[in-house]
Amino acid sequence: MAENSITHQSHRKTLKLIKLQEQLTGYLFILPALIIILIFGIFPIGYSIYMSLFNWQVTKGPFIGDKNYLLIFGSWWNLLVLVAGIGLLILGSLVWGKAFQSMKSGQRLAHIAGALVLILGGVIFVTGWGMMYESGNKDFLNSLIVTVYYALGTVPAEIIIGLVLAYILYQDIIGKEAFRMIYFLPYITPSISSAVVFQIIFSSRETSLANRILALFGADPLKWRFEPRPVLKLLGINVSGLAGGPSLALLTIIIFGIWSFVGYNTVIFLSGLGNIPKEIYEAAEIDGGSKWDRFWHITIPMISPVTFYLTLIGFIGTFKAFNHIYVMRTPSAQNSVVTTSLLVFDRFYKANQYGVATAQAIVLFVIILGLTLAQNKIMGERVFYG
Amino acid sequence: MDNSAALPTQRKEKNENQAGRIVGKVFLYLILLIGAVIFIFPFFWMISNSLMTLGETITRQLVPKVPQWVNYKEAWDQANFSKYFVNSVLVTLGTLTGLLFTSILAGYAFGRIDFKGKNILFGIFLATMMIPESVTLIPNYLLIRGNIIPLPGGTWINTYWALTIPFMANAFSIFLLRQFFAQIPDELWDAARIDGCDHLRFLVQVVMPISKAPIMTVLLFGFTASWNAFQWPLLVTTRDTWRPLMVGLYGFVQEAGPYTHWLMAGAVITIIPILIVYFLTQKQFTQGIATTGLKG
Repeated sequence: MAENSITHQSHRKTLKLIKLQEQLTGYLFILPALIIILIFGIFPIGYSIYMSLFNWQVTKGPFIGDKNYLLIFGSWWNLLVLVAGIGLLILGSLVWGKAFQSMKSGQRLAHIAGALVLILGGVIFVTGWGMMYESGNKDFLNSLIVTVYYALGTVPAEIIIGLVLAYILYQDIIGKEAFRMIYFLPYITPSISSAVVFQIIFSSRETSLANRILALFGADPLKWRFEPRPVLKLLGINVSGLAGGPSLALLTIIIFGIWSFVGYNTVIFLSGLGNIPKEIYEAAEIDGGSKWDRFWHITIPMISPVTFYLTLIGFIGTFKAFNHIYVMRTPSAQNSVVTTSLLVFDRFYKANQYGVATAQAIVLFVIILGLTLAQNKIMGERVFYG
Repeated sequence: MDNSAALPTQRKEKNENQAGRIVGKVFLYLILLIGAVIFIFPFFWMISNSLMTLGETITRQLVPKVPQWVNYKEAWDQANFSKYFVNSVLVTLGTLTGLLFTSILAGYAFGRIDFKGKNILFGIFLATMMIPESVTLIPNYLLIRGNIIPLPGGTWINTYWALTIPFMANAFSIFLLRQFFAQIPDELWDAARIDGCDHLRFLVQVVMPISKAPIMTVLLFGFTASWNAFQWPLLVTTRDTWRPLMVGLYGFVQEAGPYTHWLMAGAVITIIPILIVYFLTQKQFTQGIATTGLKG
């Protein structure tokens, strides 16, 4: 009896020891990765915030508090108005969708109230933006506009083309492997190298490939990468400046972005399609749904987690994009192609204003965080997780 | 796309159905082919231009009359590629070795070992994927320059370490491997433990051999990231000592300006290693994506 309890106790001890050992092994295994990620991935965020509070040009200068941020926003009041506008926009969309549901004509009421709040939010947001543009850093705010154009120009197109190509490839296609391999090729190609090629294709010479293709349709040659004017203006609509939409130079970069990224989306979508159970399609076929119905009512909802993931990755990617824009930009395109990540790099690398650059980078980071959260909220709710 | 073509035929007679199906199929192939041509064309353009004479690149022929293979030699010599090429190879090899070491271990720990704070740590790791390089770039630059903490040798600008160590771990690779490792049946581990296996031996002798596909995927992504790196190397190499190919190519672009044929030859040279690795790992790579739960 006694002996038995002793072995029992020592058993428990060894079990505890094993558990402890397990814990230690776990920590030991992640240690190398942790060290590198801590030093080069996480520590810099804190240090960036620290740097942004100083008049830091190459070497650390005096502490200046929020001055670097004030340079961006003009005043905190501007930022507050802007954020209040965004808050109201979010509130408005919530009211639109969710309020008064228990009441009889609740939906109409919700839509009216939501619309009012949305309009108010929109007005306040625009006012805040205007004030900021007046007294803040125009270069930075312009770069945000360019970044948004770039993101909106690339991500949706990449998603749609990627899904269509993947859906076709998922059918019974001869040479599927070969097609997939070709589509993925631009993604793994060094962006510096391929950007150099696009540089030549979209050069402003009359004999450049892009202009020769235009000539096939009887159009006049364009200046492509060197054209700071908005695309809409070139189409004859009377707009000017950044407010008039992306410039032709930016469009060229957008085309490059789509070309190089679609293949990634295609491959990921393709593996996502493979995970949709065949039985669902078969059941739908028995029910007599057309191919189009099946695509619209089965594929789209079932693939939505992948779409969500790719949209997120895509947006974050466009806000981080640097290499190909850096290579493809031209002085004559002026600020119409300078995204925020380029602007930050210029501030730092060319102007040596480390403090200003880190403040701008932090703001960019906060925007990315905000966008990610918003997307999680908005799209996350609609994603169908089976 | 195809569906709109196939739609009307769905509800009609069988014969017509058959015909419609063929038309639909042709339509599908047409889309795929157009896509393939668009994706491939810049590569074709690059290679064809790299073999032209300067005159031909200006008049923009589609293909050169006589392929000028000498362009490659000229570009190689003018752009000092022999130095940069070796640099890139060494940097990539070093980075990959470190990356595999850290991410296989961490991926295994996150996927198969229970330890306190695991989920929080994993969350933090994943969150680093969202951080734009703009934020980390400047402090990392100061760090490598030796301004924040003293480094052995004073500064790491223009050293091998500056180009490799910061990239020897990333959340994406860990995530990818974790997804795969977590799916390995527990029975395997139980059996191994009875045989007296510890985690490390289990990892090396059992897990790694059956995880070739995801490891290949990590390798391919790591290889391209390292080979294609530009912004950081541009910053931390001021001399040729360790300057990699991409920065070299960028410098060459600035210099060679109008000499399209050399530029294109240079671009082809920088792409070839990537292409070779891609074609070799292609199969495992797509398998890796399909099995590691990148499905969202």
